Amino acid sequence: MCGHIHSSTYFHSKGGEKYMEEKEFLTPSSTSATSKMERKIEVMPQITDLPQSYGDTKIVLLPRDPWWCFAYWEIGEQTLQQIRNLYGDNVQYLIRVYDVTNVEDFNGHNANRYFDIYINLEAKNWYINLPEVNRSWCVDLGIKASDGKFVTIVRSNIVLMPRFGVSPLTDAQWAVLQREFERLLELSGVSMIGKGSFDIAKLMKERWEELLAISQQPQFISSGFVSSLAKKEQPKEQEFYLKADTELIVYGETMPNAKLYIGGEEYKLSFDGRFSLRMLLPDGEKVIPIKAVSADGTMEKQITFVVTRKSERK
Amino acid sequence: MPEGYWCLVLHNHLPFVKHPEYDDFLEEDWFYEAITETYIPLIAVLEGLLRDNIDFRITLSLTPPLCNMMEDKLLQDRYYKRLLKLIELAEKEVWRLHGQEPFFTTAKMYRDKFKLVMQIYEKYNRNLLNAYKSLLETGKVEIITCNATHGFLPLISSDRVRRAQIRMAVKDYESKFGKKPKGMWLAECAYTYGLDKILKECEIQYFFVEAHGILYGEPRPRYGVFAPVYTPNGVAVFGRDMETAHQVWSADVGYPGDPNYREFYRDVGYDLEYEYIKPYLHSDGARRNIGIKYYRVTGRVGLDKKEPYVPQWAQEKAAEHAGNFMFNREHQIRYLRNIFDREPIVVSMYDAELFGHWWFEGPDFLNFLFRKIQYDQNVFKPILPTEYLEKYPKNQVLQPTASSWGDKGYFEVWLNGCNDWIYRHLHKCEELMCSAVDTYHQSVISGDELKRRVLNQLARELFLAQSSDWAFIMTTQTHVEYAHRRTKEHVSNFLRLYHQLKENSIDTNFLSWLEFKNSIFPQMDYTIFL
Repeated sequence: MCGHIHSSTYFHSKGGEKYMEEKEFLTPSSTSATSKMERKIEVMPQITDLPQSYGDTKIVLLPRDPWWCFAYWEIGEQTLQQIRNLYGDNVQYLIRVYDVTNVEDFNGHNANRYFDIYINLEAKNWYINLPEVNRSWCVDLGIKASDGKFVTIVRSNIVLMPRFGVSPLTDAQWAVLQREFERLLELSGVSMIGKGSFDIAKLMKERWEELLAISQQPQFISSGFVSSLAKKEQPKEQEFYLKADTELIVYGETMPNAKLYIGGEEYKLSFDGRFSLRMLLPDGEKVIPIKAVSADGTMEKQITFVVTRKSERK
Repeated sequence: MPEGYWCLVLHNHLPFVKHPEYDDFLEEDWFYEAITETYIPLIAVLEGLLRDNIDFRITLSLTPPLCNMMEDKLLQDRYYKRLLKLIELAEKEVWRLHGQEPFFTTAKMYRDKFKLVMQIYEKYNRNLLNAYKSLLETGKVEIITCNATHGFLPLISSDRVRRAQIRMAVKDYESKFGKKPKGMWLAECAYTYGLDKILKECEIQYFFVEAHGILYGEPRPRYGVFAPVYTPNGVAVFGRDMETAHQVWSADVGYPGDPNYREFYRDVGYDLEYEYIKPYLHSDGARRNIGIKYYRVTGRVGLDKKEPYVPQWAQEKAAEHAGNFMFNREHQIRYLRNIFDREPIVVSMYDAELFGHWWFEGPDFLNFLFRKIQYDQNVFKPILPTEYLEKYPKNQVLQPTASSWGDKGYFEVWLNGCNDWIYRHLHKCEELMCSAVDTYHQSVISGDELKRRVLNQLARELFLAQSSDWAFIMTTQTHVEYAHRRTKEHVSNFLRLYHQLKENSIDTNFLSWLEFKNSIFPQMDYTIFL
């Protein structure tokens, strides 16, 4: 990354674990007197890689945004052994995602609905795309037994997702006319929500990259961030990498009282008839039929998207 | 009677970076540069406004890590030496450029600015908290705090640990300003359900959220973001006005991109002859930004095509932009007043470091702006959050949505493929912290001082690991190795110390070293976790 004053000990050691090795340290003669420091060689703690696991059996669910959750897990060695003993070596692991909105005392059987995601246990974490916004979710890490029965290994916390969209609820005491409210939303910048962050580091980085792109003379290479942005041409022993993926956002609007179906599943419209759905887009062809049916069931419109993703790696 | 109010909030924050184990450490520059370019120039502007009896109002959030660095003797002395060197270079530059306009005028400008910075730094005894304390007493400047180490509260595993972050902030503020904070800036404006209850317990009267925190709240907000609301637990919330955010930040229409303003990326650290500039670089001798820059933005041209900076043009532009900003507020506020049954409040929230560090003329802009507001219009007045709440104590009650002011408006900046690995470790430390406090609190009460020290240091290491800055940096890809290192360092310190505590084999050398190095919160009291 940036030119760093301790490149000989830090940046030239792989992964950075040896940062503090073989280095002279200043050690305080007391904990407060910074002025009277004596220089001596101290065997200071090395910063080691963090534990791969903590021997727990748990799964934790975290919200990322209104459409996505993140789950991480680990299973203790003993539990894993028990599973192998009971169900054999080739069990199928999965996470079951429960919609527990307004469910009191969720017990595994009283969810509003659920869906399953088959996982590789070694993945250790997963981003879960949720089918609907403004709901509460809980996940089980479990296995599918040979008879097809789902067996829970461990259950997560419950997450109430960050809200998306304007609430349909109005407050009698603070009522506001629909038209006036829409104008107010506009004035409040509702159209700018989520459109690019106003954050300094990002702004500086973007501007720097633009400048680099249009600058002719490399000797003017300068740097930024809150103090100094990365110098791109620093030699580095880290393996070169590229990661990329795609997501798809399907959005639109219909009559607010219509019923909307995406891929055959009913999708709840926002109060003003808008809808927005964000999904992973893996390689291959994806067919997304969108159908709106009028409230009285007499009229119907359909739009179908066929999206193809093809990855080429070089 | 004004038709409405404008509330300016500047969030001042840097992570706790202190490396006594090295004579010279690059990442400490974040702090030093911010003092020279932002903190002291803003203090100078505010003092000038006070001197001239301008009736301004400004809310500053000063985070605990920043306050702790400002109070740290080692960093104070290191900054002093840095500033001396900078003044030395600026003096040399005045000689080098003698008579060569417009560079000569710019060189004199830097020399005078740096000397003023030194004068203010010395006046406050090298401790900028002294400056903020006297500003606070004027009643025109409100200083609020921020949760402990700027931890990203929604991704902390339990309310108990969130509560400790918030209690720590209150404690820290009290020790520095001698009273309780009225408001709190939630790190990254990140709100999640239930936080308001903790804030209420800690007697925090108000906090801020991104616009959709209120717009997507439940039920619908009667006044949009132009009036505070109360959470179900009775804490006031102010929402960010997007129009003013956009006006300053936008890459296309924002002020800082004006061709007359100073170009950040043409620095003498790269432009001047190596031997001449070498004494002012870090000990590794690598070229990097020093803080003296002679060119202006010019336009969308390459760095080699930049034209010289002319201080007077930039000043004129800053005054013009201040006038434009005021004009837009007059319109906005007058319009809102017409459709409301009360005076609206427009809340503009920015990172303080935008002013001065990135937008060099930013402090001048604020200076012009507050003066113009006083003399050139009577549509609106600047206000503090508490003043508005006193005027309008009755507000709508709504549940704000969980949100942040980061990219896309929720938590993705702090939870994505670049940084999601940290949470399993942070959560484990959070769990162990609570269990250690539960297990050993009794022995501390019975007089075990060593265990008290261990519990306190465990809390410091946990808090430092929780700083949202590390996850943020991993996402922006700017100082990734440093962010990884800091996360690993504090987690492994924590685990090692916890293990020693549990095995009853405390290594006092190790403990003393950590107390010295990771010295944030000298008044730490682990009972905030009870």
